[in-house]
Amino acid sequence: MHGRPRKAPKPEEEAASVAKAQKLHALQTQFFSFHHNKIYTKEAVELSAKLLEINPESYTAWNYRKLAVEHYLSQPDCNPDWIKSFLDDELRVVENALRQNFKSYGAWHHRKWVISKGHSSIDNELRLLDKFQKADSRNFHAWNYRRFVAESMKRSEQDELKYTEDMIYKNFSNYSAWHNRSVLLSALFEKKAEGFLSKEKVLPEEYEFIHQAIFTDPDDQSGWFYHLWLLDQTVTTDSPLLASSWPGHGYDVFLVEDRCYNGSAFSPFTALHSDSGSFPIVLYFNQPVGGVSSSTVTVECGFNKNEDLLWKPLSASNSQTARVWVAHLKIPSSDLLSTVEVSVGHSKGIISTRGFEYSHPSMFSFKVHVQPMERDFSQVSVAESISLREENFKIYGSQSEESIINSFNQLSIKNGHESTASNWRSEALAKEIECFRELLSLMDCKIGKLTLARLLMAYDVMSYPFANKLVHSEEVLELCSDLMKLDPTHYQYYKDEHSMVLLQKVTSSKESLLQHCFQYKDSVSSAICGPICLRLNNLSLSRMGAFEKLLWVQMLDLSHNELQSIEGLEAMQLLSCLSLRNNKLRSLTALEPLRKLKLLRVLDISYNQIGDHSIDTTRYLCSSPLSHSVGSESNKDETVTSDVALIDNWEAFYIFKDFNLNQLEIVGNTIADEKFKSVLVKIMPKLKQLDGKLLG
Amino acid sequence: MESFRSLTVTQRDQILVEQQVFDIFKTFYNLPPSSQSFMLELQRENHVEYLTKGLTGLGPSFCVLDANRPWICYWILHSIALLDEFVDPELEDNTIDFLSRCQGPNGGYAGGPGQMPHLATTYAAVNSLVTLGGEKALSSINREKLYMFLRQMKDASGGFRMHDGGEIDVRACYTAISVASLLNILDDELVQNVGNYILSCQTYEGGISGEPGSEAHGGYTFCGLATMILINEVDSLDLSGLTDWVVFRQGVEGGFQGRTNKLVDGCYSFWQGGIFALLKRLNSTKEVKPIPLGDGEGSGEESPQTTTSSDAAGEEGLNGDLSLGGSHSEIGDQHNTSSQDNVIDIDHNHSKGHANVEPLFNSLALQQYILLCSQELNGGLRDKPGKSRDHYHTCYCLSGLSVCQRSWLEDEDSPPLPRAVLGPYSNLLEPIHPLYNVVLDRYREAYEFFTKS
Repeated sequence: MHGRPRKAPKPEEEAASVAKAQKLHALQTQFFSFHHNKIYTKEAVELSAKLLEINPESYTAWNYRKLAVEHYLSQPDCNPDWIKSFLDDELRVVENALRQNFKSYGAWHHRKWVISKGHSSIDNELRLLDKFQKADSRNFHAWNYRRFVAESMKRSEQDELKYTEDMIYKNFSNYSAWHNRSVLLSALFEKKAEGFLSKEKVLPEEYEFIHQAIFTDPDDQSGWFYHLWLLDQTVTTDSPLLASSWPGHGYDVFLVEDRCYNGSAFSPFTALHSDSGSFPIVLYFNQPVGGVSSSTVTVECGFNKNEDLLWKPLSASNSQTARVWVAHLKIPSSDLLSTVEVSVGHSKGIISTRGFEYSHPSMFSFKVHVQPMERDFSQVSVAESISLREENFKIYGSQSEESIINSFNQLSIKNGHESTASNWRSEALAKEIECFRELLSLMDCKIGKLTLARLLMAYDVMSYPFANKLVHSEEVLELCSDLMKLDPTHYQYYKDEHSMVLLQKVTSSKESLLQHCFQYKDSVSSAICGPICLRLNNLSLSRMGAFEKLLWVQMLDLSHNELQSIEGLEAMQLLSCLSLRNNKLRSLTALEPLRKLKLLRVLDISYNQIGDHSIDTTRYLCSSPLSHSVGSESNKDETVTSDVALIDNWEAFYIFKDFNLNQLEIVGNTIADEKFKSVLVKIMPKLKQLDGKLLG
Repeated sequence: MESFRSLTVTQRDQILVEQQVFDIFKTFYNLPPSSQSFMLELQRENHVEYLTKGLTGLGPSFCVLDANRPWICYWILHSIALLDEFVDPELEDNTIDFLSRCQGPNGGYAGGPGQMPHLATTYAAVNSLVTLGGEKALSSINREKLYMFLRQMKDASGGFRMHDGGEIDVRACYTAISVASLLNILDDELVQNVGNYILSCQTYEGGISGEPGSEAHGGYTFCGLATMILINEVDSLDLSGLTDWVVFRQGVEGGFQGRTNKLVDGCYSFWQGGIFALLKRLNSTKEVKPIPLGDGEGSGEESPQTTTSSDAAGEEGLNGDLSLGGSHSEIGDQHNTSSQDNVIDIDHNHSKGHANVEPLFNSLALQQYILLCSQELNGGLRDKPGKSRDHYHTCYCLSGLSVCQRSWLEDEDSPPLPRAVLGPYSNLLEPIHPLYNVVLDRYREAYEFFTKS
C-alpha cells in the first residue's frame, strides 16, 4: 500500500490473503447468481453489502442494490418506516465502503442516488463529509459531493464560505478550499445575494484574506491561483463592449477606384482603394461575442437600410463567436458622398461567450466619399511592384503637420459609451499594486513580479480605457525583461508579454505612433502611390497585438522581428501590403490568419523558417481528426485531387488558394525551391510577380 | 482574523518529497559517469518480466481490482508493446478469450465476466485488443452492439454515463469518444453536445475538471482535450489558458503534479505530458499560442493527485478509476513548496535552439524523474520514491517516457536525436498515438482494419 514500507509477507499472512481471495471469489459467484436471477431477498441483499465492503469498486453490486431498493419500494405493502430502514441501510453500506476506499466513484455516486430520494439529513451528511475531508482535504470526490449536498439540501453559500475559511486557516495550501471559495462567490455574485450585490465590498476583503497567505509564503501556489481569479473578477466587465471599429466615428472615408491617390487630396489614413465600390466595416469587441447580424447591428446609408448585410466572425476557428466581425458595404458609385450610421446592440442578441448580453448600445457614423476613376485604365493595370525597402520610405510628417494630425485624430476611438471602470475597481488595483511593490521590496519573487506586471497593465487599461495613456508601460517592460533573465525557462512567455506591452505603448499616443508611420514612395516613379505604411520592424516582437488600434492600416511592415505566429492579424481587414520578412514563421499554416484578408495583394514572407521543420501530414493518416476540416475542404476540389504535386502540397494549397495576391516574396525559406514555386503559381493563377520575377 | 501558520501540512509533505528526490539526484550526480549511465538505463528485461508475470496471475491482493480486469490487461499489454516485446501466442489467445467473456450481450465490456458493461473498461478492453492486433483480436469486437451501448450511455445533456445508472463525467466522455473514433463508429449522434459538456468543465485555472464546479485535474484535462480534438471542436476551448495551466504543473522534481499544489506523481508523466503531445500537434496545424505561463509557478510544484483509487494491495490502485489518473492514494495534500529556484538542472544538452521544435515542458527533467525516481530497478515503475510499483504506474510512466523522447519531433515516424533521449539510446520506446494512448503501429493496423470493415 502506498506509503508503507513493503516487507516480504510471512507464510501465515500469505495463507490468510489467499483465503481472503477465495472468500471473495465465493461471494462473487453467489452474488452474480442472485443478480442475474433478480433475487432480492434479505440474505441476497446483505451478501452484496459484504462484497462491497471488500471491493467498493464493484459497480455492478451498487446497481444491484439500487434495483433491490426499487423493488422493495414498489411493493404494495411498503410503508414509510420500511423505506427509511432501507435507505438507512444504503447509507451505512456506502459509509463502510468509503472507509475501505474513500475515492470510490461507485460509492459516492450511490450516496448521491440515496440522497436524491430525499433521505438523510444535512447534518448527517456534513458529519460524514467532515470525516473524509479531514482524512484527505484534497479529495475531489468529497468536494464534489459537498457541493452536491449543499445544493440539494439548500445549505447557504455563506455557511459553505465559512467552511472554506476554516479549512484555509487549517492549511492555507489547500487549493481545493480556495477553489471552492471561488465557486461559491461566483454563485453569490450571480444570485445577487444579500451582501454580495456588488463585488465592491466583497473583493477588497478577499484580497485582504489572500494577502495573508501570500505574505506568509510567497512560494505557495494555491494563493496565487486564487489571486489570479480575484484579479479576473476585478478587471473583467461582464458585458462585452465595442472597443473600436473601422471606420471610426466621424471618419471621412475616401473610396478611390484608382490606384494612385495623387498626393495629398485625401488623408492617407482613410483613403481606400476599391475596385468594386465596396469596403469592409469592422467591429472590434473587447471579448469574443456571438450574435452579430443585421438584426443586432443596423447600418443605415442615406435612405438605405442594409438589412441583408452579412456579418462574419473573424476567428482562427470556424466558430460563430469572435472578437472581430466584418461586413462588406457596397456604396453605389452614383452616390459621391454618403453618410453611414452604424448602431450596435440596440436590439438584443449580441452575447459574449460567457453568456453576457451586450448592454451598451452604441452608435457611430462616418462619411464616405467616392472618387471615380479618372485615368485611363491601362495606365494603372501595369503591374506595379511594391518593394518595402528602406530607401522607399520617408518618415511621415514632411508634409503639413496640421493635416496629418487632424487625420490622425480621426483614428482615436470614441464610442458612445463611457468608461465602465468604476472607482472601486481601480482603487482595488492601486492597493494591490502597492502591496506587491512592498512584497517585492522584501524578497525577489518571480510570480510576484509577474503579478505586479499584470496589475500595472490592468490598471492602465482600466484607468484610461480610451485615453490611451499607459503610465506604467516602462515599468512593465522592465519587469518583463527582468523575468526573462530570472526565469529563462519561460523566456518565450515573458517575451510575448513584452511584445504586447511594447505594441500598446507604441500605439498609445499619436506622437509615438507617428514615429512609425512612413510614406511609401517608389524610387522609380515619382508619384506617391499608396497610403501610409506602418513600420513596426526591428522591434524584436515575438507576438503581434494592439489590433484594435491598428484597424486602419493598409501597409504594414513587420520585418526583422521574431514572430512565430501572426494570430489576430485577421482583424486588419484593410491590409493590402504586408511584410513579414526575416521572422521566425515555421510553417505555412502559421499564415492562416492571412486567408481572411481579402484585400491583401502584396506579401513578403521571405527569410523565415518555413520548411525547416518538415511536418508529415500523413502522420495520422486521413483519420486525423486534426485535419478533418482541412481534408474535407480540399477534397471537394477536383482539380486538386487529380494533381499529384498539389496533393503533396496540400498545406500550400489550403493556405494560398484563397489569396488574391499580385506579388509574393518567399525566397529564403527551406520550402521555397523551384518545384514548390511552380506549385504556387498553379495555386494562384493571378499572381503577377514571385520573388521579384514577373510571371508571364 | 487569525493568522496562518507558517508551514502547512501540504508544505511539509512537499518538502519531504523534494528532499527525497533531490537526494536521489545528488547521489546520481556524484557517481562516476559509467554508473550514471547505468542508473539512467531503462531496465527493459526486468520490466518485461514484471509485466508478464502480472498477465499470467496476480496475487490475492488484487481483489479490489476485480471490477477492473480489462484495465490490468491494458496496462500490461500496452507497457509490453511500448517496450517492443510480444506476449506469447497462447497468452494472447487467452487474453482475447477473456476479454470476449467481458463483452456484454448488448455491447460494451464489463470489469469482468458477468458484470455490467462499463465505459472505462470498454476503453481498456478495446485498447488492449488493438494493442494485441491481428484478425482474431480486432474481429472479436462487436462494433454494432458496442455502438448501441455507447448510445445508451449518452445522456440527454450531451455527456456520457460510465454505466447504466452511473456517474456522468469527463472520463466517460473521453472513453466513449475515443473508443468510437478508434473503431470508426463515431457519428453525429454520439458527438452531439459532448463539446458543451467538456467546455462547462474548463475552470478559470485553465485546466479541465472531472465535472462542472470541480477543480482542474491532469487526468481530466487530458481526457477533455483529447475528446475535443476527436470531435473537432478543440478551438472552442481556451487553449492558451490550458497551456498555461499544464506548463506549470511540472515541478522542481522534474515530474508533474496532477492538480494545483499537490505532490509529484509519475503517472502524470502521461496525463500531463500527453497534453503536450496533443498541443504540439495542434500547434503544427494551426498556431496555438505556444507560450504559457501563468500561475504560480513559483511554487514548487508538486503533485499528484489523488484520484481515485484505492489501492489496496500493493499495487496500486486503480481501481475504479479508471482511466484517469489514477491511483494513488495518498492522503493529504501535500504541499508545496517551495522551491525556490533550486531546480536541479538536468539538462545536459538543453537544446535551446533548433533541433526541431522545442517542447513546452522540460522533457529531459521529466525523463530524469521517471528513470531515477519512478523506476524500480527490479522491474516496474511507481508514483514516487517510497511508493510501490504497480501496473497502472508502469503503464503511464512508460507512456509518458515515450512522449518525452519524441517531444522535439514533429514527425513520429523518424527517430529522435540521441540527445532527446535521456540515458542510453536503447531507452527509446515505441511511439504512441497520443489521442488514444496505443502504440502507433497498432493504431495504424486497427485503423486499416476498421476502415475496411
